Amino acid sequence: MPIDLPQGTLDLLILKALSLQPMHGWAISERLHQVTRAMFQVPQGSLYPALHRLERRGLIRAEWGASDNNRRAKYYELTRAGRKQLAAETDAWQKLTTAVALVLEQA
Amino acid sequence: MQALSDLLYRLRALFRRDVMDRELEEELQYHLERETAKHVSAGLRPDEARRRARAWFGGVERIRDDTRDSRGLVTLETLAQDIRYAARGLAARPIFAGGVVLTLALGIGANATMFGIVDRLLFRSPATLRDAGTVHRIYTAYDWDGERRTDMNLPFATYRDFLHNAKALDGLAAFQTRQLPVGDGTDTKEMSVTVASASYFSFFNSRPALGRFFDAVEDSVPQGAAVVVLGHGFWQSKFGGRTDVVGQTLRINKQLRTIIGVAPEGFVGMSDQGVPAAWIPLSSYAFEFRGGSRYVSTYGWSWLELVARRKHDISVAAAEADLKASYYQSWRKELEGSPRSVSPDSARATVVLGPVQINRGPLAGRESVVARWIAGVALIVLLIACANVANLLLSRAVGRQREIAVRLALGVSRGRLVRQLMTESLVLALFGGVAGLLVAQWGSAALRTFFFTADEAVAVTTDTRTLLFAAIATIVVAVLTGIVPAVQAGRGDLAVALKTGSREGTYRRGRTRTTLLVLQATLSVVLLVGAGLFVRSLRNVQGFRLGYDADQIIVAGANMRGVSLNGDEMNALSERFLIAAREVPGVTHAALAATIPFWSNEGRGLWVPGVDSISRKGRFILQAGSPDYFTTMGTRIVRGRAFDATDRKGGPNVVVVSEGMAKVIWPGQDALGKCVRIGADTAPCSTVIGVAEEMRTRSLTDTREYTYYIPATQFDLPMDPQLFARVSRDAATRVDDLRNRLQREMPGAAYVNTMTLGRLIDPQRKSWEFGATMFLAFGGLALVLAAIGLYSLIAYDVAQRTQELGVRLALGASMSDVVTLVMSSGVRLVVVGVVLGGGLALWGSKWMEGLMFRQSPRDPVVFGVVALVLLLVALLATSGPALRAARVDPNIALRSD
Repeated sequence: MPIDLPQGTLDLLILKALSLQPMHGWAISERLHQVTRAMFQVPQGSLYPALHRLERRGLIRAEWGASDNNRRAKYYELTRAGRKQLAAETDAWQKLTTAVALVLEQA
Repeated sequence: MQALSDLLYRLRALFRRDVMDRELEEELQYHLERETAKHVSAGLRPDEARRRARAWFGGVERIRDDTRDSRGLVTLETLAQDIRYAARGLAARPIFAGGVVLTLALGIGANATMFGIVDRLLFRSPATLRDAGTVHRIYTAYDWDGERRTDMNLPFATYRDFLHNAKALDGLAAFQTRQLPVGDGTDTKEMSVTVASASYFSFFNSRPALGRFFDAVEDSVPQGAAVVVLGHGFWQSKFGGRTDVVGQTLRINKQLRTIIGVAPEGFVGMSDQGVPAAWIPLSSYAFEFRGGSRYVSTYGWSWLELVARRKHDISVAAAEADLKASYYQSWRKELEGSPRSVSPDSARATVVLGPVQINRGPLAGRESVVARWIAGVALIVLLIACANVANLLLSRAVGRQREIAVRLALGVSRGRLVRQLMTESLVLALFGGVAGLLVAQWGSAALRTFFFTADEAVAVTTDTRTLLFAAIATIVVAVLTGIVPAVQAGRGDLAVALKTGSREGTYRRGRTRTTLLVLQATLSVVLLVGAGLFVRSLRNVQGFRLGYDADQIIVAGANMRGVSLNGDEMNALSERFLIAAREVPGVTHAALAATIPFWSNEGRGLWVPGVDSISRKGRFILQAGSPDYFTTMGTRIVRGRAFDATDRKGGPNVVVVSEGMAKVIWPGQDALGKCVRIGADTAPCSTVIGVAEEMRTRSLTDTREYTYYIPATQFDLPMDPQLFARVSRDAATRVDDLRNRLQREMPGAAYVNTMTLGRLIDPQRKSWEFGATMFLAFGGLALVLAAIGLYSLIAYDVAQRTQELGVRLALGASMSDVVTLVMSSGVRLVVVGVVLGGGLALWGSKWMEGLMFRQSPRDPVVFGVVALVLLLVALLATSGPALRAARVDPNIALRSD
């Protein structure tokens, strides 16, 4: 049974996915599907609003390019601000999970 | 960086909306295709694959909308929505909206008006002045007669010394604006003409509209060239803007000058004394005026204003030190030539580089101080207007509580709601701002006579600085008026608001509203106290005995304009003048005089046996008159007698002294019979034959100013004939008659100027007139606003409390009980305001002291009257709603809703 994505983590996952290479929307959704081993229900519908929001915030940059099947597709890549943001959020996330784990173990 | 990318993205979203929509479409389409292809390759039928892809994807429409939302366009779209909503809401309540807009228009208009004036008086540097930050006016300061003096006029010789010695300067110009006769024959009119060094024009970024400005050769010492540059306005009015004026001639003062150029439109020069009709070379004027080249080397004629351009890399202090060194050299040179008894060191002389605008410097006039005050007052009025509008909006918001609660329940976010309320106040403020500009346009036209000459246009709607100011004021107003209702709406318990009906809630008046009202009352009191003080000052000034009957006197002065007469001829002309003046219908008396109050005054050295250094005791002004002098002027003789026709040349010299002079020179003694030597300590005694009342000749406020009167026959005063004519009434209507009659006696190009004495004195009263007018206008405005505020608050209370009041009446309260209850709740607030405002005014009174005329800023009468007025207004404003409350029918009140 797939679980819902905790609020606010979609942005982080997108940034992480894009940190490997520039990708188009569908590829991102596929990638998230694979790496989470289908555990997360990545709502494809909320993917695009998130992408545009990140673009507006200057964390990712979009460019039209040719896809592997030779169609025009919109590729997203991390900006420098995006990289910084990813590092900061990853760090924060790890601290949070560690803390929560500690609480869960000891309490 | 993020903010920038955000802005760029939003702008693109706004302006390239269709492109972005198309791109999104393509992107989503691509995604669906890939998803479908994936399912197909997994073995599904194409149509089934497409269905699965779509189902998993969700509604394309919704995604499209969500994505659009994330573009940040929503803000702008909802803004448009909010504006439409606000406009609809306001249109539905035109009286409310109209009242608010009017209130704001008055507030913003008053401020835009005062900004325009203060900006011109204080902040704005002269138009097209190049690199204004490095341009300074040169002042000198020194000790003189035991007091520190600051001067902005310097002799030509000092100007030359600065030119030679000062290393800190990139440029130096000398100038002075004079009233000079311009034109020939009957065409002659006295106009402002600026006498300037050639370097003057290099301070500006202006090219002549026609021809050229004069150059250093045309301004070379000693004589310069007889050329003139016309002012644009004068060129238009006198020459109809014709382009062939260059090369023509124009007589200014005595000399015929060749017109070499026309200044561009809007060029006002350093203009602290209005826009001149023309500019002429300094040297040519000085040579003509002084009849030779002595002006070049003398330090005895301080008549030039100096502006300097400091070198970029030199600080103000360093430049001042540099100029000071040069100034000391000049001073010492002066000591060699003529005996100026003190050295620059002992006079602690310094040079000060001040702002170009006189009104920002050490010699700022009282008008500019008053203007600053009024600008502050205008701000207070704006605050009151804002408080009022906030109050009105608040009462509306409270009335809409249920509507707001419903909308919140329906899912409108609080942020959106706050935005909507702010939009409403922004719309109101915008309308108020536009209407305010119209008010300012009208107000500036009405006020400019106080400050500016007619040719300085005061355009509000075309002035970018004023427009910018009005825009900022509008935004501030929108925030100030919108913030309180918005915050209140954003708070509040939804459930409570929904549960209780609009009328069921227990009666509760917001503390915010009460505070706003008390604030209004307080500020109104402060303004009205200011108004009262200024009005009383003005009345004191107007009732102030000047030592003569200014309203009945016309001054006539001859300008010989190069016609030279010898002493006898001049005396004969003066005699003919006197006789001719007396022939004019309405003229009862006429007398020659040497000193004309607030225009020109005479002084001579004064020696009194047994009294040391008279000049330490004050300034003594000499008045010489023909026998009828005292009767003509209406100056009263307090003791002894006036001089008359029996005091002839060759007879014993006599003098009449003023009361104050008698008191400071012979304290505790009788002045009559005392000896005064006039002009030199070896001069024969002039015996004091009478004591006359004090005469104001230079200032209304300087108390160390005294006058002594001597018969003109006993002194040879080299001067063009001038006289006072006394008319039975309406001096203004006789001014032209007198001039026409006297002009017939004038030889050659000489001409006569006449004006009422009142016109010379008016400028002295101006600051109080202006203060009284503006404080009254603004104070009255504040009072009306406060009254409206109070009325609306109480009326609203009554509407809210109808039920409660009904219960009270039903339980047996009398109508007068209800009236008292309602009225006292409002009057109480005003009483608090009166006390606070009175305290505030008392506290601020120490700064008002200097602006008053023989008026204590702590006058209990003024404070008392203001308190009374406020209470009366409070009673009036509350009585309407109170009476309505008393007429509440308990039956209806209890049954309704």
